Amino acid sequence: MTVKVEVIEGGIPHSKIMIAGIVSTLVCLYLTYLNVLTGTEMFSFFGGLAVIAALIWGSHTIKVLCSYGIGTGVPSAGMIAFGSGVIAMLLATKFGIMAPIVAAVLAAVIGFILGYVSNNILNMKIPTMVQSLTEMAVVGALTLMGFAALISGGFTFAGLTTGHVTVMGMTLMTHQQSFLGGCLIAVAFLLGAIAIQHPFNACLGPGWKQDRMLMLTAECGFLSMIVAAVMSFALISTGSAIISLIIAIVGWIYTYNEYMVLPKRDAAAWLDSKPIPEVEGH
Amino acid sequence: MSAVAAKPAAGGAMNPTAMAVGVVMLLILLGICYFVYPVGLVPLVLIVVGGVLIGFGVHFVPVGGAPAAMGQAPGIATGVAMLAAGGGLAGLFGGAWAAAAGQSALVVVITGGIGGGLMMAITCMMVNFVYVFGMGIPAASGKVAKDPITGDTQAEYKSQGTEGHGLPFVSFVGGVIGGLFAGAGGTLIYLELLNVYQAALPGVMQITAAQVMPIAVSAAGMFAVGMFLVNAVLTAYNITGTIEGPHDPKFKRWPRSVVASAVASALCGLVAILIVAM
Repeated sequence: MTVKVEVIEGGIPHSKIMIAGIVSTLVCLYLTYLNVLTGTEMFSFFGGLAVIAALIWGSHTIKVLCSYGIGTGVPSAGMIAFGSGVIAMLLATKFGIMAPIVAAVLAAVIGFILGYVSNNILNMKIPTMVQSLTEMAVVGALTLMGFAALISGGFTFAGLTTGHVTVMGMTLMTHQQSFLGGCLIAVAFLLGAIAIQHPFNACLGPGWKQDRMLMLTAECGFLSMIVAAVMSFALISTGSAIISLIIAIVGWIYTYNEYMVLPKRDAAAWLDSKPIPEVEGH
Repeated sequence: MSAVAAKPAAGGAMNPTAMAVGVVMLLILLGICYFVYPVGLVPLVLIVVGGVLIGFGVHFVPVGGAPAAMGQAPGIATGVAMLAAGGGLAGLFGGAWAAAAGQSALVVVITGGIGGGLMMAITCMMVNFVYVFGMGIPAASGKVAKDPITGDTQAEYKSQGTEGHGLPFVSFVGGVIGGLFAGAGGTLIYLELLNVYQAALPGVMQITAAQVMPIAVSAAGMFAVGMFLVNAVLTAYNITGTIEGPHDPKFKRWPRSVVASAVASALCGLVAILIVAM
């Protein structure tokens, strides 16, 4: 039996964050379907917002799980989330418009079995293990689907494997210049895996505050979104990619400024050490 | 993990009921594959073998974690998941290169193993280099009185208040063996998935074999990485923190990890194969 070493004091309860997370992620993912309805790619940025909603939920799940001393470090939780999530997400893309819901259900099944395996076969005996690994696999799958929608404008298998390249005025279909064929999914994988594990890893300890960690998650999410938006120039129209990029940059600046207030609030003292001063004559 | 965390007490106890449930789950998953997509059964069995190789191999790797970084425990100063990913992915790249060169399956898997072993050998050597010449500490195991391979005594070199430090010879050898197993396992998973996708994706997507190549390579590689990380983290949960190598008492926990990796690989492999079956 493992000892629980940290408690959640105050703040929003985890169940509320979980429900808000899954609802807003699914809504944002489905809003990218406006691309198909309107015949444009302008609404791809909703994929990035889905990523951020899922990451906020996921980082709080990591907090719930890693409050028990699991002994393997926080980053491993992010790795298993995306390792199991990518498998569910890729199969789910075959289901067309149902893809986000199928991804969530399939990832939950995979996560549940992995949770059973770690809790019973590996004898971890951690009370929240099964629920946390289930949630984490769903987060991993939905985050990757959000990145897919942000970068390629859609979340169907055909959309992720087919791209277009213009050679001397002729538009040719290609499979190399696509989210899956160009293996952009590998970059999305690690962008998400790092963004999900970093906030709790950075904020843990006796002075842990919920709002500080969640704001850091949002900041990490927007930072990942900037990179993903830059990558989306390769696959969607320039105007749509610029919309995503502007939203990502504005969101990042806002959350960064908001976040910087919180450590100053929680710190015992604050000394604004300037960058290394240039001393003349030395 | 929290800085004030108590040592997790998962212990070495086996849970026979859960192990039996795990074996039944493995058979059910293989059965589902046989009914839904019979051609995929042999690849799925080989994927399970690859996953088990990863789960078993990671137990050999000397993982030191944060205490090792402070010179208070033997091993490489990072977590299980990171080391397994480093060694295994290096092997995967080596194996994928051999597969692209059109070698036979055996050569590809052995190349993957050598890639992983080489990566771990370089890591272990440089780690000891830093320990000995950078931090000024000798290599000494805290778990055994004599090195099982060289027979060197350890106690004289061990500082008081530590569990040993540096990377003794047996840990070095364990690291290389672990890299061999993990690299070969990861490559086996990649190779089997690649064969399945190359054979079936052109029919599913209505395109030629040449067009399907980037998608098959990318999807197989991504699934292999995903399964590799799942197996590595499950093994990390089994080890709970640090392990010195094959001479560590925690090494005896490997049967649990083999069953867990088999179930997890069968589950993930089944989902990966279903992409071409649905």
